[in-house]
Amino acid sequence: MAKPKAHINQILCLACGGCISVCPQDAITMNGRKAFLEKTKCISCGICINTCPVGAIDLEGKK
Amino acid sequence: MKYDVVVVGSGPAGSVTARYAAASGAKVLIIERRPEVGVPVLCAEGISKNVDNYNLLSGTKWMAASMDGARIFSPDRTIVKLAAELAGAETGYVLNREFFDKELVQGALKKGASIMLNTTAIDLLKNKDTIIGIKALQFDEHLDIEADIIVAADGVESKVGRWAGINTTLKPHDLETCTQYTLSNIVVEEGYCDFYLGKKIAPGGYIWVFPKGKDTANVGIGVLASESTPQLPLKLLNTFIKNHPDLKKGEPLRFLAGAVPVAEPIPATYDHLLLVGDAARQVDPITGGGLMASIEAGKSAGETIGHAIELQQFDQKTLLPYEEQLQDTLYRKLKRNYVVKEILQNFDDKTLNMLADSLKNYKFDELSTFSLVKALVAKHPSLLIKLKPLMRLSKL
Ligand SMILES: Cc1cc2nc3c(=O)[nH]c(=O)nc-3n(C[C@H](O)[C@H](O)[C@H](O)COP(=O)(O)OP(=O)(O)OC[C@H]3O[C@@H](n4cnc5c(N)ncnc54)[C@H](O)[C@@H]3O)c2cc1C
Ligand code: SF4
Ligand code: SF4
Repeated sequence: MAKPKAHINQILCLACGGCISVCPQDAITMNGRKAFLEKTKCISCGICINTCPVGAIDLEGKK
Repeated sequence: MKYDVVVVGSGPAGSVTARYAAASGAKVLIIERRPEVGVPVLCAEGISKNVDNYNLLSGTKWMAASMDGARIFSPDRTIVKLAAELAGAETGYVLNREFFDKELVQGALKKGASIMLNTTAIDLLKNKDTIIGIKALQFDEHLDIEADIIVAADGVESKVGRWAGINTTLKPHDLETCTQYTLSNIVVEEGYCDFYLGKKIAPGGYIWVFPKGKDTANVGIGVLASESTPQLPLKLLNTFIKNHPDLKKGEPLRFLAGAVPVAEPIPATYDHLLLVGDAARQVDPITGGGLMASIEAGKSAGETIGHAIELQQFDQKTLLPYEEQLQDTLYRKLKRNYVVKEILQNFDDKTLNMLADSLKNYKFDELSTFSLVKALVAKHPSLLIKLKPLMRLSKL
């Protein structure tokens, strides 16, 4: 099974840009004041998840 | 559409670059993805009074409060006071950043620059490998805007640089991840910016209380991303406020999340392209302050661009004076403070408490390295070893 990828909860995102600046794959982009993730680029490194100050990023499928 | 210069981003780095470029005769366009300059505010709003030397601001709306000094609280809450009348301490202002940013943009417009809001840069416009402009999206319309020089002043995300193939990715230990409340209904010590240090308070960063008036302050936290876990900054800040006698009755007027690069500045000059401000990682790595750095760098960038337009040469070599002029001033300070940041990060709470205890009655008017070291070591000799790496820096 493929590793679960990062997933951004847009309702929680406050558009700080932190996750975008640390993602080694350039997989995240600000779009209409919310961070959006391009899943095909994500390598599941988890850096963005720990970076988000409000906890808006999680691993896919985790509840 | 053809301009001499397109500046991506209307923050202080972009607006100050645009101002000085326009003042030297260049045809400048600023593009900004937000619908309003300066909003939302993502900042603690502290700035040194050195900003007065640039004559960029008029009126008083941009200023919320004037600061006489700073107080640093060690983990055991020993206070080290850096007051205005003492040499070496910088006095400053707490800003209303939405007005500050707007005034800086107005300054650029008065010099002849134009601005487009709701306009997001989405890629560089290239002819083979040469940058010839920027691709942007305005509402649902795609725009190709030609320009001889692109200024990437797009803040911490620094995407424009990535499109040019520059590695602008920050390491987690070079980013502070932040949240902040603007709290009303609190007790504030007017005239002082407060900083709280400690591994349990804010690992790899600090909590700040910057007063904006009698009963209002920006109360925020920065945690080093490499030491953070999901939502940690928010949780630590809430705990701090709940347990602080002067803050716990506070009610929020504003909440924000933010990200501050605390890296070394990256190379910022390329053919047809300059990076300025947070995008170039021009931020003081100790304090996380980037406003003065953006202004200093913006001025140098704008003036250099003016010269390049005059010559009609846009290659890296022509544009390099932008960074050369900063080497002995801004860059020297940023590089030195990056080393200090790395050292401070390794201080445990016990060391910070000893430092504060040694310094609490220290007269900062005799601020020489020698008298400082004497004061530190007289009280806690074991500090000597911890401070050794810092001593080497006095040569930098
Ligand atoms: C929580 C927090 C507290 C801070 N506190 C302080 C402080 O007290 N003192 C201090 O000196 N500094 C502080 N800073 C740092 C300071 O805010 C920054 O250094 C400063 O804003 C940098 O200016 P800039 O112009 O480079 O970037 P920004 O001010 O971030 O401006 C970048 C602009 O570019 C726009 N943009 C981005 N991408 C695009 C695109 N693709 N197309 C069009 N527009 C785009 C953005 O919308 C934004 O308006 C703080 C930062 C944070 C996050
Ligand atoms: S998990 Fe890693 S690769 Fe995937 S989006 Fe987050 S930072 Fe980027
Ligand atoms: S770090 Fe969190 S709040 Fe900041 S842009 Fe990314 S998802 Fe949004």
